Amino acid sequence: MKKKYGYWLFMILTLICTIGPFVWAFFISVTPEHGMFSKTTGLIPRQITWENYRELLFSGSRQGRLFFTGIKNSLKAVVVTLSLGMPSAILSAYALARMEFKGRKVIKNLLLFTMVIPVMATIIPIYHIFMDYGLLDNIFWLSVIYVSSLLPSAVWLISNYFATIPKELEEAALVDGCGTMRAFFKIILPTSVPVIISTILILFLNTWSQFQIPLILASSKMTKPIAVITSEFMTKDAVKYGITAAAGICAVVPPILLALFLRKFLVSGMTGGAVKE
Amino acid sequence: MKKALPYILLAPMMFIMGVLVFYPVIATFSYSLKRWKLTMPGDIKFIGLDNYVSVFKSSSFWYSLENTIVILLVVVLLTSVIGMLLSLFLNIETKVSGLMLAIAVLPWALPPYVNGVLWKFIFHPGYGFLNKLLLATHVISQPIEWLSSRWLLLLAVSLVVTWRSVPFMSLVCLAGRKALPESLYEAARIDGASKVQIFKQITMPLILPFAGIGVMSTSITAINVFDEIVALSGMNDLGKNIVLESYLTTFSFLDFGKGSAITYLVLLLAAIFGVFYLKTLNREVQY
Repeated sequence: MKKKYGYWLFMILTLICTIGPFVWAFFISVTPEHGMFSKTTGLIPRQITWENYRELLFSGSRQGRLFFTGIKNSLKAVVVTLSLGMPSAILSAYALARMEFKGRKVIKNLLLFTMVIPVMATIIPIYHIFMDYGLLDNIFWLSVIYVSSLLPSAVWLISNYFATIPKELEEAALVDGCGTMRAFFKIILPTSVPVIISTILILFLNTWSQFQIPLILASSKMTKPIAVITSEFMTKDAVKYGITAAAGICAVVPPILLALFLRKFLVSGMTGGAVKE
Repeated sequence: MKKALPYILLAPMMFIMGVLVFYPVIATFSYSLKRWKLTMPGDIKFIGLDNYVSVFKSSSFWYSLENTIVILLVVVLLTSVIGMLLSLFLNIETKVSGLMLAIAVLPWALPPYVNGVLWKFIFHPGYGFLNKLLLATHVISQPIEWLSSRWLLLLAVSLVVTWRSVPFMSLVCLAGRKALPESLYEAARIDGASKVQIFKQITMPLILPFAGIGVMSTSITAINVFDEIVALSGMNDLGKNIVLESYLTTFSFLDFGKGSAITYLVLLLAAIFGVFYLKTLNREVQY
């Protein structure tokens, strides 16, 4: 009995610490402007207003337009990142997990090494190149940089999974007269759907989270992603914290929904690169 | 053709990594050996290690390095303790354990900058939750300026980074715990081992390699913190770490040479942890 008590206590504490910040930001976003600063107000808002959400989402105000541009820019970057990143990650993972060739170990180690290279160590020359060739403020090239920073862990995750598929499955297909690539498309790819969903999810979440790279490479309004737009709400509209809170809540709704719906894939994707099962 | 196939498959990835990671890493080093300010475009000159010397002489660098180390220590300590504890509780099967796992992982999945904004509403002196709670319970009589003093700010930043790092830490430990064969526990119970003994003699030592992966990954995250600092205190000097110092030197003061030198010092620091991290990733853990 005592043990159960401790379990529930810890779980409730975890729940409060995890979703507390969202709940509080939500309270702020629905509290009338004058309400938050008064010393007498308690911890729960007495009066509720949806004004901030209306202004942000349905009024066509300056903040609203900015917010939707940010969401659109982030979604575009997600599409480019996935369509460039996934095919190259899957093909590389297949070669590294299943084929014997000269330089395999070197390539694998180099790829692992790039996982620990900080963004700042590559961004200065990239900024310089982009400036010279006029590639700044361009969602496509911005997304190519995301791909370069996300590829190593994507390849690692997928190739760890490929390595667990029994070789006999592939060999049977080869005996039946399939070529290597046909065996790959017919056998390996269909059995790897879970890890592919995990990788897509993780690439999506990482692209949605980008802040430092676009801060440097995408300074125009037409390319800024949602996190950078939120930062402008923070600095330019510091007084209107209600609408900033509403924007923050709206910006985390898509990743929260995805993470909850695809939780199994998220969990296996997070650990699949680090722990072999 | 058969021999060329793996290289063809690897080509897109190798091209992207070569042009956008390996070349820039080397180029950054060559930048760091040059006098190169964007404010004086004509005046680019090789000056050897002068940029590094000037970085080591600047008090601003040492200040930001101190901040980096404080954040690193607090984040790694808190994340390890909380993450391991959480993994032990998540390992207990109950009606809610699946849902709890999904919720506990959420902070990892969200934009770190937006996390910082959400937490700023907790720490804000005026409408922040923390001051309201402490005032309402009469623990304090005047609001505390959480984000205006150096150490309180660093503590706040570390807490937010910990919040984002705990999920990975606990998942890795949980995977480690699940990989332990149940027969080990049965054998120990038959031998009459107590719960504390089982934890000390079996769970702890066997989870350690997994916890090691979590600690290394958390260290690298903690060294590279950027978003949360900017969200909580802006681009000012108070809470800046070496990553922010290198960002400001490069993109605010437009000193590409010195900025690259600071960046290389960040890279070296990350590499120390990185080497251990890669060794653990490459090793098969077996029982």
